Amino acid sequence: MNPPKPLKPLSTFATDRQLTCARFNGDGTLLAAGCIDSTVRLWRVGEKELTGLPHLQGHHGWSTAVAFHPHEQRLFSADSWGQLRCTRVNGERAEVLWRHEQAHDGWLRQLAMAGDKLATCGRDGAVRVWSLEGAKLAEHHHDDDVFAVTFTPDGKAIVFGDQHGHLHLWDFNVNKLGTKFDATVLFKTDRIQDIGGLRVLTFAEDGKTLIAAGTIPDKGATIQSTPVALGFEVATGKQQHKFTHGAVKDGFIEDLVVHPDGFCMAVTSGDPGNGKLLLFRLGEKEAFDSATALPNCQAIALHPDGKRFVVASTNRDSNGNGRRMEKDGSYPANTSPVHLFELPAV
Amino acid sequence: MRNPLCTPSEHAISRRRFLGAGASALAAGALGGLISPLAAEELRKREKQVLFVWLDGGMSQLESWDPKPNTTFGGPFRSIPTSVPGVHFSELMPRLAKQMDKLCVVRSLSTKDNAHSSGVERIQRGDPKTRGVPYPYFGSAVAKLLGPCESKLPPYVWIKPGGGGFRPEDAGFLGPKYGSLAFGDGKPPDNLLRPETLGEAQDEERNELRARLNARFAAHRVPTYTEANSYVFDTARELMKRADVFDTSKLPARDEERYGRHDLGKHLLIARRMLEAGVRFVKVTSYGWDTHGENFNAHASLVPKFDQAFSAILEDLAASGQLEQTLVIAMSEFGRTPRVNGHAGRDHWPEAWSLAMAGAGVRQGVVVGETNEQGTWVKSDGYDIGSLFHTWFRALGIDPVAVEYDNHGQPLPIAHEEMHAIKEALV
Repeated sequence: MNPPKPLKPLSTFATDRQLTCARFNGDGTLLAAGCIDSTVRLWRVGEKELTGLPHLQGHHGWSTAVAFHPHEQRLFSADSWGQLRCTRVNGERAEVLWRHEQAHDGWLRQLAMAGDKLATCGRDGAVRVWSLEGAKLAEHHHDDDVFAVTFTPDGKAIVFGDQHGHLHLWDFNVNKLGTKFDATVLFKTDRIQDIGGLRVLTFAEDGKTLIAAGTIPDKGATIQSTPVALGFEVATGKQQHKFTHGAVKDGFIEDLVVHPDGFCMAVTSGDPGNGKLLLFRLGEKEAFDSATALPNCQAIALHPDGKRFVVASTNRDSNGNGRRMEKDGSYPANTSPVHLFELPAV
Repeated sequence: MRNPLCTPSEHAISRRRFLGAGASALAAGALGGLISPLAAEELRKREKQVLFVWLDGGMSQLESWDPKPNTTFGGPFRSIPTSVPGVHFSELMPRLAKQMDKLCVVRSLSTKDNAHSSGVERIQRGDPKTRGVPYPYFGSAVAKLLGPCESKLPPYVWIKPGGGGFRPEDAGFLGPKYGSLAFGDGKPPDNLLRPETLGEAQDEERNELRARLNARFAAHRVPTYTEANSYVFDTARELMKRADVFDTSKLPARDEERYGRHDLGKHLLIARRMLEAGVRFVKVTSYGWDTHGENFNAHASLVPKFDQAFSAILEDLAASGQLEQTLVIAMSEFGRTPRVNGHAGRDHWPEAWSLAMAGAGVRQGVVVGETNEQGTWVKSDGYDIGSLFHTWFRALGIDPVAVEYDNHGQPLPIAHEEMHAIKEALV
């Protein structure tokens, strides 16, 4: 059997800054992305093109996480100064419905959504559950920086993971911690640097397997680490799968989504210039498809049609010591090209 | 005719010869700027000390002393007010923010090298004009110019992770005697203490024998290395008397807690003990600050540890009154690029970065210079490392214009002669 052809984007759309995350809305007509200039970027989604809409303003630092209401044009977004808010997005117009400036004390790292609830986690060690109207329903104070959060498939509990790779099931209805999952392979202290390798928590399509993706750290500072996805049996907490790809220069799985057909779609970012899109199945050793000419990917979002997806990467030559200027004499900023892909017919 | 490109060993001179040559020259009035024994003695009496904290690899100015929150390159973190109205630090330094009233932060460093290999050397040697000889590191310069404190403990001690030992290369043309004595992992040199099987009298006899043999060996040789050799033995004997300095087990547990149980905390706690014991110059190095990847999560881990340990030692030196006589400096070889690279890292940026000082001779609660709104360039006068050497020498009571090194009769400036001290930073 011939190996599959490497995936190539249908089209690529330029941005003027770097993106941190990306998600489609429920009907697939809108794409939202967090940005390091504090804005939230929006695009109208066509068959093979993205049309930029006005940026959402009002966040601070980096906008770090976005999620759409599954049936409405409501966008939930978060930032690195701790703000969580809900915006009604209607084409060119946007209206802030509610906002918590200090939903967390500082870097709000991730938000997750299930049914009528939101979950957030942050550097302040807090994990919180919110109604979609912005009411705080539950909270757990964890004594560590919480890097990732996801709802269980039934929406009744949460799994969160800290920088040391400790994953916990939390039944927020009764405020009780349950199963622990050991992902400490994602953590290392090098010299005095604590390297937290966890990036994504999500569930496999069967709902019985928890996926923790990120990196296995090797060295800090100019970080060297290997992309990895771990699979845990939810019932027992035992690790069942370990998928790694590449070498220490390949860095992190920065984002991962599970396709309805059961495979994982992940993007990586390693040494500057190094990034990949990987399609793989937990339990298999190799990715069954990939795209490798995507420098430093930060985010992947799967369209609700299950065929199209976007990857936010980084421009080439994003790094360099010292004075490097644009031709017009200005100081350069890096950007995130957004690549629109279509999955090949199986 | 002399070859203008001399080797370091040719220019290495003993302290005695250095002072002697200076005195002769002063008497003759031929080279009036050379340091005299009287001046050296005066400087020594003041017992000024130095704590030099080196964050190897390059701490990001944007995630520490010069935050630019909510700007294009400002990163994810907030800034917080400090104890000096109008001055803000990164939120990663809450303890130091409370001690800004003790600090002098220079936000307008603009240096030249963006490579570690040359940057570290250039910064720590003060980047004088090329003279064909390697200049001494700041620690060696202070060891030479001020000598040991009355404690007679080694004048230039380096506490660092990893291996230790005597590091003559720091001293450049001054000669190996002025090199650093490195305490790897903060531990004393192996076999420092006299073995129990060796009695005190026996030890004394052995040392006398060693001294006689050394003297005989040295009689017909250039003293540079033989003096350095004897010097290492002599300082080791002084260290033996103060082995308690390394014993942190008797310190209150609260000290360890305050400084942190990480390397930087432990090493700064030992540094405090060494300063208290009378070491002239203590350098503490922390490695792992070269955050080309994951700069923000890395700084979220690294900076709070620096904040904890550095604020603890500042607090202690201030409480004991020792800060008044101790020049404290915290810096790297450069800052980090405003631009965030694809691996969420920041690269090397010597164009506009910051350092912090405190203590002897330095104004308190002052920010010198500023960068532009995006943090890309220095908006005020930029200062290269030569200006910092002028500033530090002046803070220690050494006139960097009047005092010169004598390199075998060749007068050499102790700091870049085309630069000057940062007046706003000095008392």
